[in-house]
Amino acid sequence: MAAHPDAMVAIRNLRLDARTEQGPAHILRGIDLDFARGRIIGVVGESGSGKSTLVSCLLQLLPNNLDRIEGEILFEGTDLLKLPPAEMNDWRGRKIAMIFQDPMTALNPLFTVGTHLRDILRRRFPQLSRQEIRERSLAMLNKVGISDAPTRLDAYPHQLSGGMRQRIVIAMALLVEPDLLLADEPTTALDATVEAQIVELLDRLRQDFSGSIVFISHHLGLVAELCDDLCVMYGGAIVETGPVAEVLARPRHPYTRALLDCEIEDGQEGRLATIPGEVPSATWTMDACIFASRCVHAAEVCRQGPPALLPAGEGRKAACKRSFEVLP
Amino acid sequence: MTADSSAIPPVIALEDVSVVFGGKVRALDGVSLHLHRGEIVGLVGESGSGKSTLCRTLMGLGEPTSGTVTVGGEPLGARLARDRLGFRREVQMLLQDAVASLSPRMRVRKLVEEPLHVHRLPLEDGRARIEVLLKRLGLPANAMEKFPHQLSGGQARRVAILRALVLRSQVIVADEPTAGLDVSVQGELLNLMLDLHAEFTLTYLIVSHNLNVIRRITTRSVVMYLGQVVEEASTAALFRTPAHPYTAALLSTNPVVDPAKRRKRIVLHGEIPSPINLPSGCRFHTRCPRAAARCAQEVPQLRSVGEGQSVRCHFPLTDDMVAA
Repeated sequence: MAAHPDAMVAIRNLRLDARTEQGPAHILRGIDLDFARGRIIGVVGESGSGKSTLVSCLLQLLPNNLDRIEGEILFEGTDLLKLPPAEMNDWRGRKIAMIFQDPMTALNPLFTVGTHLRDILRRRFPQLSRQEIRERSLAMLNKVGISDAPTRLDAYPHQLSGGMRQRIVIAMALLVEPDLLLADEPTTALDATVEAQIVELLDRLRQDFSGSIVFISHHLGLVAELCDDLCVMYGGAIVETGPVAEVLARPRHPYTRALLDCEIEDGQEGRLATIPGEVPSATWTMDACIFASRCVHAAEVCRQGPPALLPAGEGRKAACKRSFEVLP
Repeated sequence: MTADSSAIPPVIALEDVSVVFGGKVRALDGVSLHLHRGEIVGLVGESGSGKSTLCRTLMGLGEPTSGTVTVGGEPLGARLARDRLGFRREVQMLLQDAVASLSPRMRVRKLVEEPLHVHRLPLEDGRARIEVLLKRLGLPANAMEKFPHQLSGGQARRVAILRALVLRSQVIVADEPTAGLDVSVQGELLNLMLDLHAEFTLTYLIVSHNLNVIRRITTRSVVMYLGQVVEEASTAALFRTPAHPYTAALLSTNPVVDPAKRRKRIVLHGEIPSPINLPSGCRFHTRCPRAAARCAQEVPQLRSVGEGQSVRCHFPLTDDMVAA
């Protein structure tokens, strides 16, 4: 993938294998992806697409059955894969922060909101005084839309609603002033009206966030509304990337097209679209297009070696040999 | 509701049902719901709206504090006393977490034969029916020898459906039938549910957060908020011209891929209040963008605002306001 002019993170040919009883499982099959400052990139894919593993790689929190990891994750020129563990630990919660899916398990039930925020600030900014820590905590709670902040500092997680807890988790992530913010399905555990509030909050926060946000989701509609860029993953590989509006308006990969067709939207009738078949096993050696077994457009050429992720229009890339033929 | 359907008693009817826990938690408050044979009804609401309590009450898993539940015109209590197993055969529930709803120590074969033993049905006939259904539901032949943890989410749901159909259930209450499924599998399961509905004249109550699913497969929808029905309408009317501000807000926040089809997002403030400490007047007034003084004082009643559409609001939205 050609480097984005202002790419902050550049992932190059990232491969990750895990040991399983069936032999090595290829969880990531050569990922090339850039994250630019000031942009939200939505990473979508179904279960087993590798989107969560990608996030684990960025944090270097890897599965313990890890067999092999290669490639580069260049964060402003530094390869995270080559950092010694102690240094990597310093990057976490400083340059990189994470918003987890389930705010209940992300917060410690034995500590108050104030303690959660204070611990983060003490580690990140050891020079801060007690008073400054309190001020920053209160300001951040206001920023993420928590009313009555002084009282909330003394609350325990169980005393807060789901939406409130997720706001606290977001506050914790933002307090470290990260350059890279990872959000793994941050609204999945929330009710619809609360999800809307969190989406609005993220949309508002991005205004004064200079870093880059990676938004993992399986919900195309949500990504379409919130993100600037889109990365579609399938079976551990990237099949398409590009600006979200363009990709969704005119997909350049049959899998993106098929995913869009599966979305239930206004005014459709008749049978619902599906994608017959299954994702190839992770142990499969990718000697053909990863989607060929389920692709309605698959031809002989698709089974002769995997396609490269090639430019497919302004700022776009797709891994399909027949892209322009079958998706005019 | 059409004229001819009201002549036959509904398969299941809840009439002004209230459920109060511990004397103070009003989980359901004056809810009426009629399920007619062959209908697909959608039930929408957030956590705490009373959806689960409604399902439990309808399944006879808890008695209403007041109001009545009838099955084919007969009070549910009487039916359970007379013929508990018969009612259980007739009405089955698909639980949200399909894998967890299946015993982890039983193979699929045992899981799908279990209902036959419980209901003392002839094994030979039942097994023949299982064979037919297994193919009909698109489960692979080797599925019978698998344990639940070896099944995919879609397969586990099919096994749960099979367990209901082997009893020739008429009414299926499905709690979030597609939660946790990938979109590519979601369509398959919904297509299957629609086919089975036509084939066996099933009656569905679909409980879901997913408005797209509700819109696509149900014919009538009920929206609940804090234990009350706030709007009921044909699904088409509900999505075209929601009359309750809560329904309108829910619809507006449903993320949509196509920018041309997006509604103006109405973000509600706060979260659903506690059912222990209910707001005065209209229960939605604390979060309603249209609330006036009257809403905090006077409890709105469910009233008709058009063909088959009723709403619990003093100031319902009109068609032109929704379009704007």
